[in-house]
Amino acid sequence: MNRMDIVREGIWRNNTIFVQLLGMCPLLGVTTSAENGLWMGLATMLVLLGSNLVVSMIRGVIPVHVRIPCYITIIAAFVTIVDMAMNAWMHETYLVLGLFIPLIVVNCAIMGRAEGFASKNGPVESAIDALSVGGGFTLALVLLGGVREFLGKGEIFGLQVIGNYTDMLMFVLPPGAFIALGLMLAGINVLNRRFEQRRTVEMETARERA
Amino acid sequence: MLDREQRNMVLALLIVAVVSTMLLATTDMFTREPIAKAQREALHRALMQVMPPHTNDPQKDAFDVQREGSKLRIYPARDAKGGLLALAWEEIAPDGYSGRIRILMAVEPDGVLHAVRITDHRETPGLGDGIVTNHAWLASFQGKSLDNAKWKVRKDGGDFDQFTGATISPRAVVKAVHRGLLFFREHRDDLLQLSRGSEQKAVMEEGP
Repeated sequence: MNRMDIVREGIWRNNTIFVQLLGMCPLLGVTTSAENGLWMGLATMLVLLGSNLVVSMIRGVIPVHVRIPCYITIIAAFVTIVDMAMNAWMHETYLVLGLFIPLIVVNCAIMGRAEGFASKNGPVESAIDALSVGGGFTLALVLLGGVREFLGKGEIFGLQVIGNYTDMLMFVLPPGAFIALGLMLAGINVLNRRFEQRRTVEMETARERA
Repeated sequence: MLDREQRNMVLALLIVAVVSTMLLATTDMFTREPIAKAQREALHRALMQVMPPHTNDPQKDAFDVQREGSKLRIYPARDAKGGLLALAWEEIAPDGYSGRIRILMAVEPDGVLHAVRITDHRETPGLGDGIVTNHAWLASFQGKSLDNAKWKVRKDGGDFDQFTGATISPRAVVKAVHRGLLFFREHRDDLLQLSRGSEQKAVMEEGP
């Protein structure tokens, strides 16, 4: 797999949230606004980058039978570091997201990348993979946070977009996360299917011309 | 005896654990001071909001009292002449809609509330979190005391509004602030004495 493919897979074609539907726990709790989604996504990306790098560097050295406890320890260490750093230098954001940062440990998407990618590839590829998968995760969180914030309060990134907006409270509450996510997944599937059709049509016309 | 494979497994786990611990200890070393500073600043901002304009550093002059078996830290606000303007402390309402609500309240020496702010809560966004976002409601606490207000929400026959769709959060806050005022009235003399004591101590420390 070349590097461009890794990026494409991570961000879109195999997007953790939109396609794999993994790591949904922070999705409900955190994405009440675009900004919360952004910080949670970046925190996850940092952890992913750290764990992917370390796991890829020690691949082959760690005995197969104890690899899972080793990965968990590495991931937990990076989560705690991000947790402490946010508490120190981004205190306000930490107070809002505080509850969800430690939960990054149990985000199966990170374990999945360690086991499924970093343990079989070099550090450079693993870093690219971490940034792409983390980027895709962040993208999903920001999009969902933005949609919920917009529908719920008429704001995006805390800025009023529609004046005199009648709040649709449900979208800020947890059920709104399910509904907004469902609508977005449906939309993405429609888009992908349309791309697919266009590609098939193009290929057929190309063949006919040939 | 362990065979070679088993020894490698133990060794690998041990090394990963030791290196992780060292990393965490280092991070802790670098973040401990900034975290303490960030917490002090957050408290400072909250204190500035609830207290009347003052010239001392309430966090430096703070003192602890025992209440119902736990420690309660009290922050005094003073003017330039050292006269006490208000005492502030944190009340915790255990009966919010979801979890505890932390409330910072400042009381003037005659038992009148100066201001109330919510410092931490997990209430429902858009409903119960009106206790934070509804400034008119928060301002309605100003100037209230045990004598000039009925300490219940309107629904229960008191003087404080509830919000549409959310009675539990305002009720919990009103109850907690009421408890705080009762505590102040009961121990007023002791508290004023103690706040003066810390002032004397501060003066003594500044001497030769």
